[in-house]
Amino acid sequence: MSDDHETTESTESDGNSDDPLAERWRQARRITDGGQPAERGRERDQDAPHAFLLEDEDDAELDRGPFQQWVATSISNPKRAYRAMFYTATIFFLLTTLFPFYWLLMVALTPEGQQQDIILTPNGFNPGAFIEVFQTLPFHWYMFNSFVIATASTVVVLVVASLAGYAFGRLEFPGKTPLMLLVLIISFFPPAAFFIPLNDLFNTQFFALEPITGDGTLYNTPGAMVLPLSAIFMPLAIFILTTFYAQIPDGLEDAARVEGTTRLGALFRVIIPLSAPGVATAGVLTFIAVYNEFFFSFLMTDGQPENWAPILEGILGYQGQYEVMYHLMAASSIIGVIPVAILVIVAQEKIVSGLTAGALKE
Amino acid sequence: MAADTDESPLTGGTDHPAESRERTGNPVVNRMENLSEAAYAYLLLIPAFALLALIAFYPLIRTFVMSLRADETRGADPLGGFVGIENYVDILTGNARLARQFVDVSLSTSFPFVELGVPLLQQALFVTLGFAVISVIFETVIGFGQAYVLDQDFRGRRWVRVAIILPWAVPIVIQGMIFFLLFQPEVGFGTDVMQWLGVFGADPLADSRDAFVIILIADIWKSAAFMALLILAGLQSVDRSLYDVARVAGASPWQRFKMITLPLVMPALLVAMLFRTMDAMRVYGLIESTAGCTTVPSLTCLVVEAMFGGTRIFATAAAVAFATALVIGLIISVYVFFFRDTEGGLY
Repeated sequence: MSDDHETTESTESDGNSDDPLAERWRQARRITDGGQPAERGRERDQDAPHAFLLEDEDDAELDRGPFQQWVATSISNPKRAYRAMFYTATIFFLLTTLFPFYWLLMVALTPEGQQQDIILTPNGFNPGAFIEVFQTLPFHWYMFNSFVIATASTVVVLVVASLAGYAFGRLEFPGKTPLMLLVLIISFFPPAAFFIPLNDLFNTQFFALEPITGDGTLYNTPGAMVLPLSAIFMPLAIFILTTFYAQIPDGLEDAARVEGTTRLGALFRVIIPLSAPGVATAGVLTFIAVYNEFFFSFLMTDGQPENWAPILEGILGYQGQYEVMYHLMAASSIIGVIPVAILVIVAQEKIVSGLTAGALKE
Repeated sequence: MAADTDESPLTGGTDHPAESRERTGNPVVNRMENLSEAAYAYLLLIPAFALLALIAFYPLIRTFVMSLRADETRGADPLGGFVGIENYVDILTGNARLARQFVDVSLSTSFPFVELGVPLLQQALFVTLGFAVISVIFETVIGFGQAYVLDQDFRGRRWVRVAIILPWAVPIVIQGMIFFLLFQPEVGFGTDVMQWLGVFGADPLADSRDAFVIILIADIWKSAAFMALLILAGLQSVDRSLYDVARVAGASPWQRFKMITLPLVMPALLVAMLFRTMDAMRVYGLIESTAGCTTVPSLTCLVVEAMFGGTRIFATAAAVAFATALVIGLIISVYVFFFRDTEGGLY
């Protein structure tokens, strides 16, 4: 190995080289070297005698088999072994998380009645399942219901939690900590503990509700899901918003107040716009949580799309009385995942920051 | 209560002339402007607590009151007279009129999860506790691995993160559907693989032990991602210079992990485990959409079955619901106790 190579590599590892020749050399080097040019280049930069040692070993290893050579280099350079372990772990995690989705797609693409032994490829090709899903059941209706319920809950949660978050984050008052703890405790209780009286309550006829719901009960209306789901997912939003609102400097709010804004005006015109990332985070998390919820969504309607049954009733609906339509179950599941998958791709930073802010708050 | 607390410097004391504070012509807004800081805070908390009172506090109290009354299987009133803790005694001794018992200790002489058809796996309390403990242990280990991967710097990290979060964002019913199909003998290959390994019987979704394993796998697949996110936050808050110091001092990677990473991540890890345990104790949807509540009865399953089973045992349902809340509350207190100890020891 000549000195020429040595210099090329060290300039590259500084990251300043735009020379196409150097780029090609680096690629060639990556192939022969198992993919770690930058790592080794840096090592040489830092520690010249060590680099010499390594090169001597490289020369001596020429007559070994590929695996033995890999082992030998791993021993002389443990970083490589860790790197290899890291890539193995990454690939393992990617396979385990993504494979079920891939397999689901394969089941959906397989024509009805041929669902045996699908592993990597579908038995036949039938993209029509994705249209059949909407023809067999009004799946779009279920999706619409889910969207309405999730959006309405998100709006309710954001408004109510904004007020509470402002109080907890920016105001001092007696009983602040006990009240926050009370909110936290609610998020620990199982929905089952609330469910029986709520079920009674929502099946009770209220005269005031008659013009809205027809028979005066909340059962089979979006309200029967929006109310409990808002209450259950509100604590997380309150904690996220409290964190964000507390970080806005007092001076900004004071300035708005001096200019003549009302207290509520300062909240809605100064604090909330400045905490937009936090509000978006709380909104995305609430939407996903409500969209994914099972318990109330399953029990608070009778499962008919015209009675506001959400998407889960649709997916379970393909398990009909007469036949079980596996390919439609798979296809509808894929369609149901798409909205949250898009949300995760678009808002992943917010999800990460929001979950951690909300959960690590106490 | 509110009047004697400190005023916000902006709104000033009450001795100001009233007209100088009237920013708008709206009397409601004006009154809001004149409130003390504490009163204003309570006003802002009213909507949140009104919602919580309607959906959480009131039902919780009603559930408790209902659980103290007798079941009335005939007649117009679904609840009978006051019986005290009789319902609780019944569910704890396995005498309740439930399809699956809450707990039935006299039967539980055999070791769980080993033999086929052990009654232990048809007792809701043990199913739920076993599910919570096993799933949280696996999720913590796998979530830690995932968080460790995401904590490294590499190309395409954004997309790897999306892939790892994705299961967390999947609706419970779709999670259930995926694993139902995977282990449905007619469709999925999961059963074949498990039978080849000698783990599963002929119809895993109808067998309590096999279905329990399926539900565990499904839950670990989905919730390890949640653990990974919370642990990742802990990992990223670790000061990187500590690692440099350790490297200079000659610490091996394992020592660096044990002496620096683990202690510093411990609080985040415990909070994540607490959250997951709470969630795992509430498991219902996953069971309902895969194996069904009769095969794998969880605590929440019992409540729903008692409510809608057509036998009008509402008081028993309420007792089971409240007992579930108590069990979860007990676990929280154990955690909080443990958590406080650990944090005190670390810092």
